[in-house]
Amino acid sequence: MGPALLTANDVSKSFGEIQALNHVNLEIHEGEIVGLVGSNGAGKTTLLRLFSGVYEPTSGTMTLADGKHVKEARQNVGVVPESTGLYSRLTAWENIRYHSRLHGLSDDIAWHRTTVFAQRLEMLDALGRHTKGFSRGMKQKTALLRALVHAPKVLLLDEPTAGLDVTSARTVRSLVRQLGEEGGTVIYSTHQLAEAEAVCSRIIIIHNGEVRADGTPQSLLELTGGKNLEEAYVMLTKDKARARQEDQKPMSKIATWWQSFFTPRTPMEVGEDE
Amino acid sequence: MSDSSRRIRTIAKKELIEFARDWRTILSLLVIPLLMFPVLFILFPLLLASEAAELDALQVNIVIQSNEFPDDLEDLLNNSSMELHYESLTYEGNLSNPIGEEERLRNGSVDAILRFEKAENIWHYAILFMSTSERGQEARNRMLDVLNDWEANETERRIVDAGLDPNTTINPLQWDGDIAQSDVATQGEQAGMMLSLFIPLVLSVWTFSSAIQPSIDMTAGERERGTLEALLGLPCSRIELLFGKWLAVATITGIGVLLQIFGLLFAIGYLASTNLLSLPDLSLTTVLFIALAVMLFAVMVVAFELALAMRSHSVKEAGSVLGPAVILILFPALFTQVINLDGIEAFWFAIPVVNVLLALRELLMDRFVLEHILVWVVSSTIYAIAAAVYAARQFKREDIVTSLS
Repeated sequence: MGPALLTANDVSKSFGEIQALNHVNLEIHEGEIVGLVGSNGAGKTTLLRLFSGVYEPTSGTMTLADGKHVKEARQNVGVVPESTGLYSRLTAWENIRYHSRLHGLSDDIAWHRTTVFAQRLEMLDALGRHTKGFSRGMKQKTALLRALVHAPKVLLLDEPTAGLDVTSARTVRSLVRQLGEEGGTVIYSTHQLAEAEAVCSRIIIIHNGEVRADGTPQSLLELTGGKNLEEAYVMLTKDKARARQEDQKPMSKIATWWQSFFTPRTPMEVGEDE
Repeated sequence: MSDSSRRIRTIAKKELIEFARDWRTILSLLVIPLLMFPVLFILFPLLLASEAAELDALQVNIVIQSNEFPDDLEDLLNNSSMELHYESLTYEGNLSNPIGEEERLRNGSVDAILRFEKAENIWHYAILFMSTSERGQEARNRMLDVLNDWEANETERRIVDAGLDPNTTINPLQWDGDIAQSDVATQGEQAGMMLSLFIPLVLSVWTFSSAIQPSIDMTAGERERGTLEALLGLPCSRIELLFGKWLAVATITGIGVLLQIFGLLFAIGYLASTNLLSLPDLSLTTVLFIALAVMLFAVMVVAFELALAMRSHSVKEAGSVLGPAVILILFPALFTQVINLDGIEAFWFAIPVVNVLLALRELLMDRFVLEHILVWVVSSTIYAIAAAVYAARQFKREDIVTSLS
């Protein structure tokens, strides 16, 4: 096992009264492909955003190998958010170049690295096209190229195969595996256990903002005594899953009052009144 | 160039490229401001002139109802371009009562009816017409012109009959010489005063409204499309992000305002060539101060709009906040138009929005009041900084990565 590259030391994150993550302690080592597995609202995206420096921990610290705060070391992190985050009026190459320039890379180096990965993802011909007409798979591949262009030490992928067709999902998984074989470090968020098992060398199960289990697929089976990962997951996450943090945000009193005029009551509510 | 300024430039450049690729935005924010004043000042008067010529060429049908009609008035009417039909006069109550005549006036078979009657030494008249009909209006106006001419002749005749001099009787008070010659204000100053009544209004409203769309697109739009999260994970600070976006919106707004001024100057130049308006007398210092006032205003407005748009979770929400916010500019702008600049107190130049508008008015009239300039420069700078700080606070919010969609 390589040295710890990313460390979450007793990290908690709350949004107002909502506790999104609760005392998380993690070490991500160089060369690991780590699967973050959990239901919607478990805290996977919040953890990834803390790793990428988009969020600040409410308490605890997030550091990189050299002890730097993740925010100061964003140069070493590549991010593919769930929404891909591509600009539709720019071409695939312009999207990649924009990020590479903000990383301080020259266009020549960026182009060279882009073409290397674009060949592997079979999208070299699409680099000059506007991303507006891209399929979900093409967008995901472009976002991957964009995240890899500055040769980051850690790649953060938030649900990278969500909404992809079978072929595109296979291509993405294959690239992630190759990156792992080449010594790259990837944190891969998903709510599909089979995918995590197929791609990741280590699985972290997050539930209601807490790390419930952390280890290889085999060690999780041993820990729970489950016959397969699905059974192990169910045993580890028995308590009811909460809703996504964004959904939990309370509406203002005025907004609630106003919307009440335009929200029809369900037949059940009407029946109860009668 | 420092890394920070390079990143700011990269962000601004990308925003401008995206903006330039949307032809609809180019049309609404650059082409329309360029053409607005030329259309308003050149094409609109041409259209009015053409419509007036069309009205002049109209053949209007007029019925004259009278039992006794002066010959000289009949001559004047015959010489005008109206088709006349004479009828005997019958009416109820008074001459203005249209009972019995509504039908033919409404269906257009007659455009107007002139009723004329003599009672003792006074001629009484009324013109029946339909005010919502252009032909009716035109017929009435032509008849009034003829009647005015006849009245002037009749008045003069009666004064002469009474043994008096018409000139001294009708005009006992007369201006001596050329009225325009007596005004010490130059034509340029007069033009400056006229322009000061609407240029600040147009500039301020346009600066605010033209910054709305790019501000929303670059903040709430990014938030809604999910592009902001990837950007926030990059090694650029949120302040750099704000400056980059501010620079892009300010550039777009600035170009829009410059094109509008260019269009305005072109229109004024055209009007000056036709002697309808002179060019305002503005020194280079005045022009520089006008540019400073507009720049400080733009800094404040763009930062304020970016902040409001950044607070919004979606494009729709941002639009519903920023759209009505135009009132924050429009009302002070209208209010400023009626403030008398002579002897104005200095505190007016410290009120947000009003200060820049008053400054523009004074500068366009080539008035240089050091106290006023100091107050508006200092207060505008403070407001611009405050708006930038407010925008920076919004950009530092953690929830800007979440959107309603």
